Amino acid sequence: MKKVLVVDDSLSVARQLEKIISESGDFTCAGHAKNGAEAIKMNHTEDPDIICMDMNMPGMDGLTALRSLVVLDKDVKVVMVTSLGGVGDKFTEALKLGAKNVISKPFDSDTVLQILRQL
Amino acid sequence: MAVKFFGQYLVENNLVSRDALLQAIELQDQKNLKLGEMALSLGYLSQADIERAHNAQMSKDMKLGDLLVEMGIMTSEQLNDVITHQKNTHLYIGEALVQVGALTPDQLQQHLAAFKLDQALYVTDKIELPAAIANSTIWEMTADLTYKMITRVLDLQFRPGKCELISAPRTAFMMAAMDFSGDVEARYVISVSENLQKQVAKAILREETVDNEPVEVLEDTVMEFVNVVCGNVAAKASQMGKAMEINPPLTIKQSDPGLAVPPGYTGLLFPIHIDDGDTMELKLFIKN
Repeated sequence: MKKVLVVDDSLSVARQLEKIISESGDFTCAGHAKNGAEAIKMNHTEDPDIICMDMNMPGMDGLTALRSLVVLDKDVKVVMVTSLGGVGDKFTEALKLGAKNVISKPFDSDTVLQILRQL
Repeated sequence: MAVKFFGQYLVENNLVSRDALLQAIELQDQKNLKLGEMALSLGYLSQADIERAHNAQMSKDMKLGDLLVEMGIMTSEQLNDVITHQKNTHLYIGEALVQVGALTPDQLQQHLAAFKLDQALYVTDKIELPAAIANSTIWEMTADLTYKMITRVLDLQFRPGKCELISAPRTAFMMAAMDFSGDVEARYVISVSENLQKQVAKAILREETVDNEPVEVLEDTVMEFVNVVCGNVAAKASQMGKAMEINPPLTIKQSDPGLAVPPGYTGLLFPIHIDDGDTMELKLFIKN
């Protein structure tokens, strides 16, 4: 079963994603980091297959963490989660920095799982 | 389920690969000339003129085209000509995907039709603002998208009230806010009653009951709703040619200065009458 690390400063979004992941049957939740710096640490300790990460977080934001993660760990697949997914420039910037896809908010479980299963 | 741009819709639905989209965007970057580059190619100015205007732009909050006219480098007619050329030669993402071989012209038409259908839910209805307000179409769209998200995300039935000007907003059980910056500046505020906060939390957490949830989780769900609406507003605004940045959401307490409409701002109130008799409020503090 693939392990997914959830990275979001919002407790409610983390809860939504953890629920979708744990009820999917083919993914398991590797934990919850509250910012980019925690994500980098937990990527090392928990070794997830996929990271679902918010773009806007206090402290180290998602795009800054993404830059480091793709250098530090060539195997990990990062999907950004953001309400700004529909802003073309933001979506493109995330892909250019190495994100595999972007999940727009509001999301539904089918879309999240479809994107995770494509990886 | 959100406001999207076409490239995102295609990648999300696995209709083109991420790498093909990046290739098409690279092609767009090569082919779509910026205003200065187009003016240069039409012989209206020199590279030195562009650099002079860019330097002047550091101390002036003006678009390059307007500045070039103000500095006497180009005439208004030449500026209009440059903009027309940019529009006429613009390579759209769908065409770029055809050119890099990721889509056939037939597939492009088929996917465009499906995309338009998907996004039709977010087409803005006309909302009347009470006064002459700068960028009024952006704020009408903001109110309209808020209504649409209340239906789609919170699953609440409601009737929008008449928009009015306010100077001192009423207090509420809880208020969550987000600041917009960029081409337009404003504070977006949603206020809810205790009962509505629980309804928002149930919808966001997808739980039957939230009676045992801690206060910070309940507040976080209202902030998340604000975040979702404002991100989609920024996406829609970018399609309308306005760049809007969003800042992290925050809660406003009764004693906070953030409660009042700041000097130099116009306050708008949009009452939202929920079917069970409760009222949610959307407030916009717009920089004049």
